[in-house]
Amino acid sequence: MLFRGQHGIVETAGVVMMTDTPAHPGLISLQGIAKSYQLAGQQLAILNDVCLSIASGDSCGILGASGSGKSTLLNILGLLDLPNCGQYHFAGHDIFNATPDQLAAIRNQQIGFVFQSFNLLPRLSALDNVALPLSYRGVSRHESVEQALRMLDQVGLSERAHHRPADLSGGQRQRVAIARALVGNPSVILADEPTGNLDSTTAQEIMDLLLALNREQQVTLIIVTHDPHIAERLERKILVRNGVVQEAGSL
Amino acid sequence: MSLRVEQSLSQLLHEAFVSLRTLGKRSVLALLGIVIGSSSVVALINIGHNAATDAAMIFKDMGTDTLIAQFPPKDGSSIPMPARLDLQAVRQTVPGIAHIGALTLFSGPIVFHGRTTNANFVGSTPDIKDAMRLVMQQGRFLSNFDANETYGVIGDQLAQALGAPGDPLQLGDRVRINDYLFLIIGILRSQPRAMLMPVQANESLFIPAEGMRRIYATPQIGNVIIRATPGQDMERLAKDVAGALSSQLSDHDADIQVPQQMIDGMTRQSRTFAYLLLALGAISLVGGGVGVMNVMLMNVSERRREIGIRMALGARQRDIRNLFLLEAVTLTAVGALCGAVLGMTAAWLYAWLSGWEFALAVAALPLGVGSTLLVGLFFGIYPAVSASRLQPVEALRDE
Repeated sequence: MLFRGQHGIVETAGVVMMTDTPAHPGLISLQGIAKSYQLAGQQLAILNDVCLSIASGDSCGILGASGSGKSTLLNILGLLDLPNCGQYHFAGHDIFNATPDQLAAIRNQQIGFVFQSFNLLPRLSALDNVALPLSYRGVSRHESVEQALRMLDQVGLSERAHHRPADLSGGQRQRVAIARALVGNPSVILADEPTGNLDSTTAQEIMDLLLALNREQQVTLIIVTHDPHIAERLERKILVRNGVVQEAGSL
Repeated sequence: MSLRVEQSLSQLLHEAFVSLRTLGKRSVLALLGIVIGSSSVVALINIGHNAATDAAMIFKDMGTDTLIAQFPPKDGSSIPMPARLDLQAVRQTVPGIAHIGALTLFSGPIVFHGRTTNANFVGSTPDIKDAMRLVMQQGRFLSNFDANETYGVIGDQLAQALGAPGDPLQLGDRVRINDYLFLIIGILRSQPRAMLMPVQANESLFIPAEGMRRIYATPQIGNVIIRATPGQDMERLAKDVAGALSSQLSDHDADIQVPQQMIDGMTRQSRTFAYLLLALGAISLVGGGVGVMNVMLMNVSERRREIGIRMALGARQRDIRNLFLLEAVTLTAVGALCGAVLGMTAAWLYAWLSGWEFALAVAALPLGVGSTLLVGLFFGIYPAVSASRLQPVEALRDE
């Protein structure tokens, strides 16, 4: 299990708070998250006091100009980066007290990533790319290949299963990436500009696919984008501006 | 959240092979170092083993049941050795002697039908035949009744040297030494070289000890050769015989070498030699290991993004570490196998060139392949651990 007897009391910013109490609604709960980098001897604040909560089955867009900190927010949400301070609970797990292995396990089982630049492994076939997350769960090769084939079929690429990413078009690559994100049956899909490298028709198709997954399988969808047309199609719009987060509806 | 199971072995191997295949030329270069190291370990162990076997063979011909007595003069004494020793008395005092014979050595030219060659003349007592394990090819050996005859028994090689095409040396022929003609009554079968024997039977003419005076004015006994009955404690026997012999001598010591001791000494020597060769192999292996580390470090830095992706997909630090470690070991395993084949070939070639019997050293393959794999593991650890320590976000950021 992810908790290692840390159901104790943690002091944060002078306030004594109980951790892991049911006081954190929803799948994702961020409280007072801040992130800064040390760059050339200067402290560079990227995110300030971010409070955000996302419920299971939501579809959210994270919007903002480039450099606003939205990618950093996505990295933190996806457990790829740790915030400097604050509280982050993911599906009930306290992220600050999790070991790297536990974080890896959460990423593996709960989160599916879709990147702007697809991030498929060029050496592996589409099928092996999709099967990769399962291999980190101890699923046997035979079984993971079977599931990966099913997933490729779902995104309409079963005929390209043995092609290398280099032999696929951008839209096809992003479909493979989505299949890879979905193969582990995650509760959240985190997509970083998933249509950024695609033409508008293909972008439309990819968005349709992602929204259909959100609708039909209740997968929580979090999409980082600067495209208002994409944001339009999502239920929630979260604006990041100079490291501060605002919910568009609550303005 | 359910507990995670380790990645299955088939998955791991599949990935290692996929990435090795794509590693391409660079891995071939790294392999070269590993192949050289591994093959030298395999070859050197095997060559060392064959050399030791060959050395042991030399002694085996003589047998470890044979003792050879020498008679160094006591310090300062210039009195020659006697021409006779009472070997019968020695045989009676010391139990456990099967055969005992004395040799009186001289060398010089021997002539047959006008052809001259140099030979050893061995004044022998009849028991020498069994003591030296001489085997007759034709005729018979000297007997007690031949003491005063000018009979000779000739070694195979010497007989060949004296004979000529169409005119071989045969039984009943006479060979001339100085002014004496010796009648050949026996020809010996060719003997393998016996390292410890004071005389090589193949190049010798055996004549009765009593007759040595005919070719040499002051014959003296050079060696006494003793063969023990089976199951004797050779060290004890050597001591007893030495004691019995020295009681007959006033101005000489009786010095007996025990073959087993010499075999042990030689084995020790060849072992030292093998260790030296092994050290050389180890050094080349370390060189190969550094090559592997180099390739793996480059591999890791080139695949930072891949590491980041894998981490995003749920790879733990140990999964990343195992991935690169397995690649390093697979790389070295390929090298080790090539090295084993190459090393065996080299050892076979060396044995063939040296005229040795090729024998597979039991330790060579497991030791050579095993040490190579260990080297791969050792030099693969650092790149693999440094890969696993990358932060996912840093690894992903790297374009």
